[in-house]
Amino acid sequence: MTEDSTLVVQALKGDRKAFEMIVRKYEQPLTNYLGRMTGEREAALDFTQEVFIKVYCSLGSYRPAYKFSPWLFKIASNHLIDHWRKKKLPTLSLDQPIDDEDGSLTPQVPDPGPSVTRKFELAEIRQKIERALGFLPAALRELFVLRHVNEFSYEEIADIKSLPVGTVKNRVFQAKEMLRKRMEGS
Amino acid sequence: MRDCRSTESFYLYLEGELGAFERRGLEAHLETCPACREVLAKRRLLHEAFISLPPLEVPPDFALSVMDRLPEPAEATARWLAPLVAGTASLVVGLLGFYLLTGESLSDILVAVSRSFSSGFGRLLPLFAKLLKVGGLLLDVAFGFVTMLGQGLVTLLSALGPEGIGLILGLGLLLSLLLFFGAKRLLSLGEKA
Repeated sequence: MTEDSTLVVQALKGDRKAFEMIVRKYEQPLTNYLGRMTGEREAALDFTQEVFIKVYCSLGSYRPAYKFSPWLFKIASNHLIDHWRKKKLPTLSLDQPIDDEDGSLTPQVPDPGPSVTRKFELAEIRQKIERALGFLPAALRELFVLRHVNEFSYEEIADIKSLPVGTVKNRVFQAKEMLRKRMEGS
Repeated sequence: MRDCRSTESFYLYLEGELGAFERRGLEAHLETCPACREVLAKRRLLHEAFISLPPLEVPPDFALSVMDRLPEPAEATARWLAPLVAGTASLVVGLLGFYLLTGESLSDILVAVSRSFSSGFGRLLPLFAKLLKVGGLLLDVAFGFVTMLGQGLVTLLSALGPEGIGLILGLGLLLSLLLFFGAKRLLSLGEKA
């Protein structure tokens, strides 16, 4: 049994300290994920709280044979979807192919130089990515965040989102290329 | 250029997601293709930025505020309580319905239920006795059969002598080996199919 599974078993027996350890372990990754999805830190913290309460109430349905973090993020993802449905936010179709004119785009990301310059460049690119993330369709943004912010494997993301692994890989790629194009346009 | 890989391959390469064969193929191609090397260098910088996005700040007392908002343990343990309450309620509703339909009181119902149980048990008792008797007979027959088989085997072995026993054991071993490898072969053929 993994450390998380043991904590879940203890929490199910009424040990609140065990659940607090789960909260402390996952508050940062969940806030990172929800923050990038909502675009607001305060809203992300509220969502994170709500997700932890949902998780606490659903602990009985967790199967210790499976990894805990994908189960947790599945609840977070469904929570976001419910929220968006209530708000009736517009969604973009993922079936539309992205405009992939690879050769025509003028690369604006410079070649790697000395490390100080590179650090500066990276900081600048990160800022641009954060801004560009808000323009990505939510479904692509979510897959990108799960992969590169939360560092889930493609297989784990496929499990969280109930999608084929190939689809996840392709959509993460689409997200990255859309980000790149957005950054180059800004 | 011929053999140039898709941009998706570059990302997967940077993430270490390409298989060994594809990775070697891409690396070999990169050695000879300056255009692809340039594309890879640009994606590498982007990739580094993707994987190093800074974490969002979480207040130090965040976990405590979550713990304060959790429902009380009584609500959490209500999971086993709900089926119990539902079961009791259905029993009460059933008894009440029975009373309303038949006009029988609760004590009448209980008496009727206990009578039907005792009469059913009374009918089953002789059946149990018969089953026990038949079981004993079957055990006797099985014991007699095993004894007879043992005696027959002893007689056969004494008639065969040490050479005959050796021959039979050898043949048995050969047959077992043939069966074992045959089954293994069949299984591997099945897996391939």
